Amino acid sequence: MGVFSGPLQSLIDELGRLPGIGPKSAQRITFHLLKVAPEDALRLAQSIIAVKERITLCTRCFNVAEGGLCAICLDDRRDITSVCVVEDPRDIVAVEKTGEFAGRYHVLQGALNPIEGIGPDQLRVRELLARLGEEGIAEVILCTNPNLEGEATAMYLARLLKPMGLVVTRIASGLPVGGDLEYADELTLGRALEGRRVIEA
Amino acid sequence: MYLASLSISEFRNFAEATILPDPTGTTVITGSNGAGKTSLLEAVGYLATLQSLRGSPKEAMVRIGAERAILRAVTMVGDRSMDIEAELAASGRSRTMVNRQTVRRRADLGEALRITVFSPDDIAVVRGGPAERRRFLDEALAVVAPKTTLHADETEKILRQRAALLRRAGKRLSPEVEATLDVWDARLDLAGTALVEAREALTEQLAPLAEQHYSRLAGKAVDVGLHYRRSWSGTLRDALAASRPDDLVRGITLVGPHRDELELTLSGLSGRTHTSQGEQRSMALALRLATHQLATERLGSAPVLLLDDVFSELDPYRTRALLEGLPPGQSILTTALPPPPEVAAATTYEVKPAGMVNALVSERGDG
Ligand SMILES: [Zn+2]
Repeated sequence: MGVFSGPLQSLIDELGRLPGIGPKSAQRITFHLLKVAPEDALRLAQSIIAVKERITLCTRCFNVAEGGLCAICLDDRRDITSVCVVEDPRDIVAVEKTGEFAGRYHVLQGALNPIEGIGPDQLRVRELLARLGEEGIAEVILCTNPNLEGEATAMYLARLLKPMGLVVTRIASGLPVGGDLEYADELTLGRALEGRRVIEA
Repeated sequence: MYLASLSISEFRNFAEATILPDPTGTTVITGSNGAGKTSLLEAVGYLATLQSLRGSPKEAMVRIGAERAILRAVTMVGDRSMDIEAELAASGRSRTMVNRQTVRRRADLGEALRITVFSPDDIAVVRGGPAERRRFLDEALAVVAPKTTLHADETEKILRQRAALLRRAGKRLSPEVEATLDVWDARLDLAGTALVEAREALTEQLAPLAEQHYSRLAGKAVDVGLHYRRSWSGTLRDALAASRPDDLVRGITLVGPHRDELELTLSGLSGRTHTSQGEQRSMALALRLATHQLATERLGSAPVLLLDDVFSELDPYRTRALLEGLPPGQSILTTALPPPPEVAAATTYEVKPAGMVNALVSERGDG
């Protein structure tokens, strides 16, 4: 139970549920919002509403989109023969920054993690398989995080995809082990993409 | 290598404390029981291993009422000065930096600070269950061959993922569970085999050293055996495949590095069940001394020795034998009683119950 009542406490509680925000920060942000000009606070509230109302997942690759297809899937200059498989839309940002990849993406929305109840059915694996048949994809680059769950997911997919006669590659090691793609610097990730190798399954 | 300084704040019952251990000799930390002597060693231990020597969770090491504890050590490795700083949060993320670079895992601590710890609990390595002996090997590996902690960490994580998968499968092997299990098994085969090979190599290197140290402690030649026993034969991959039906029923992984045993024998008899308490104590000491010696040889300089209240449990004979068996180097020891006469304390600190640390008169000669 919080010290304050009514809307004040419920805002503190809501903020406190956000990742990386502890009870103290939640309280600090709440009192900050109490002080700012009404239009500034409203703009924040409206941004949250707009994101929830307008942002959807791309119907093809599960990247973030504004209804229908995402910006990358809509871009007809992209190479449709290669697809880069990532765990999270934020990883697309990381790969795009390297400038080393011109194909399309497929966002799994996670990685294999039995402890958290995530198996192949909870990931967008079936959708990936469907795309491979439809889009004329020749190479699949497995760009999951270089940690245990990411490596297991890459191995799982490689075993699934290789019998289909595709070139299946994995980004080169050299990324900090145990890390997230999101935090890798452009140069390192660029080199890892360039140095990708056909994966042993 | 040596520890040049240790500063702690809001750690255990200490508000602030700093010690400057003697670089080449023995630093004694005295104080009554419960004053917090061991906490000082625990702080050094945390900076060397990123975990509590006492197995406490990180939050438990933060002083009650404080948000975070800060630990800082300056060490000298050859002629390089290293700065290790750890922040333990009462809630949320803790972090560690070596020379201002963030360190995520123990393997990345590198050579900044290496330790060998002696404690009265060491006897559990001989007397306790197989898990105690596996932990002893993995701890020794972390000092002697730090990269192997990657295999140990990965093996542990895979086993947890695999257990979760087995439980969720509910004794049924659907194609989907089978395909995912195949992947975890392949990863476990890689990490687990690497870990076990490292443990076996270490066992082989420790065996003759442990025998030497034990024989010296016993005052006569004794046949000491260290044998690593795998919980499977053939490749781990095949063993996991063979064990899968049973694993599925039991919901756990029945073969692998986490089921292995380090068998200890004295004159061919089991160290665990067929030896006296005195022999067990000597065996535990011999294992630590052997590890310390191997680490010193491998690293080119002795790890910092931490002796936590060891003399209270040892008779004068073993105390003398222990002190004589220690190679020259830096050591820090805690004791509630006056230290044995063989201990030539270069520096002494007294810990007061209020969490104050006083430097006592330095007994170091004028040179
Ligand atoms: Zn898309």
